[in-house]
Amino acid sequence: MTACLFALATMTEFAQTPVPSSASPSPPASSSLPAPAPIQISRRLIVIDPAHGGIDSGSQISDTTVEKDVTLALAFRLRAMLTARGFTVVMTRDADTPAEPDATGSALTLDGRAGIANHAHAAACLLLHATGSGNGVHLYSSQLDATAGEPPVAPWLTAQAAWVPQSQLLKKQFAAALTRAEIPLVTSSASVRPMDSLTCPALVIELAPQSDDADSINGTDYQQRVALAIAGSLLFWQNQVQPPARIAAAAAGYTAPASSAGAQP
Amino acid sequence: MIQRHQRIVFWCLILCVVGMGIILAAERQRGRDRIAALAADQTPLDAPTAMTEAVTLDLANDDDGTIAATTRQIALPEEVNARARALIEHLVAEYALPGSPHPLPPGSAVAEVFLLPLPVVGYAADTSSAPTSDGGFKATLPVASADPNALQAKQPGGELAVIDLRSTFVNQHPSGVEVESLTMRSILGTLHANLPQIEQVRFLVDGQARETLAGHADLLRTYPARDTTTSTNEGP
Repeated sequence: MTACLFALATMTEFAQTPVPSSASPSPPASSSLPAPAPIQISRRLIVIDPAHGGIDSGSQISDTTVEKDVTLALAFRLRAMLTARGFTVVMTRDADTPAEPDATGSALTLDGRAGIANHAHAAACLLLHATGSGNGVHLYSSQLDATAGEPPVAPWLTAQAAWVPQSQLLKKQFAAALTRAEIPLVTSSASVRPMDSLTCPALVIELAPQSDDADSINGTDYQQRVALAIAGSLLFWQNQVQPPARIAAAAAGYTAPASSAGAQP
Repeated sequence: MIQRHQRIVFWCLILCVVGMGIILAAERQRGRDRIAALAADQTPLDAPTAMTEAVTLDLANDDDGTIAATTRQIALPEEVNARARALIEHLVAEYALPGSPHPLPPGSAVAEVFLLPLPVVGYAADTSSAPTSDGGFKATLPVASADPNALQAKQPGGELAVIDLRSTFVNQHPSGVEVESLTMRSILGTLHANLPQIEQVRFLVDGQARETLAGHADLLRTYPARDTTTSTNEGP
């Protein structure tokens, strides 16, 4: 009886796993399927995601400052400077509450933010955060291992993997620009939701106070210098960004999944 | 004139007083001996049968976003699951000390740590074996998942560590990309340094999947256990 239950449980688990069919093997990619064209991106479109908002205040930076307000203030400055340089800017929220609440009226989820960014096909996706620890700007790219190209259906939680080389290149350009602006800098990699689900060059930009005073994070001049350095760097980036090659379905070993869980929406 | 029975009662009471005095003195001495024995025993309470050993802790620093390897003499349990749990508890205890460069709330952080051999396999009934009286099969066969994204071992004997964090620790953890990322990298690096058979790590909170640690660091993905001291501040 126990073995029977065990077998049933195993069958249920594997029933949803796509298994390559041995009866009709897929032909090699080089023989019949042309390599898909790279994804078209809008070189003058930037997505800005001011993190948190609404009931999600983020971290408490000081007695009077919360993260959601700092990220929104920096996003407004950045949007103004990018628009002045001819960019189109898509923001995931432009008020305290997220821009597009779902049907139930609740706050936009992290996956919802990634969905907005992925549909835009932007040249860069900037996730703005703020913290009370450290000084200057902390730049993070994804911790995922880079893949050779983008599969036909990217797993939702690792969709950024194909874009990691571009994200790291963008991080270097931002780092150089911020260093020139004499802003203290920490660069590293991190796994921050929803960066790993983005299909665009994506960075987390975490703003820390300018000095030991936590409220110095709200300084107009300070935020202006950071936004100027980033906007100037993106002016050069629009001509350098290259979407990753797309991997043919057969070369990726892809077969139609039994369920859409984990695939891009 | 004191009567005879009164003298007997008097001397009985005297005997009782002397007896109680002797008993109290003996108990007092036993208590002192027990306290003296406890003071002389330096073995940590969590591993009374183990000797201390050199353990590498990857300690984070919020000021510069770095992680540095530090050696400590710690007694750890022999059993590997308990060993992994004790390592993380000692790591968090370091961060709870006053003046820590990466301050975290005190208290227990981990409910359990489970180590699973990779690849993670399912089991199917062995139809070639004789059926049991109730219609089931006697034997089961391990079946590897056909999913190309299934967790695989890079080296023979590689294991997946599932760390079940306590919600009391997670809910009090400071919020921020850097501080949360440093905690995660510190745990991953410490496990990798002391238990190299751990190749991948998953995090749960009170036995459930949770989206983020404190609003930023991703807790849904599987992390590779690797040396995090070399991948700190990369510089421009």
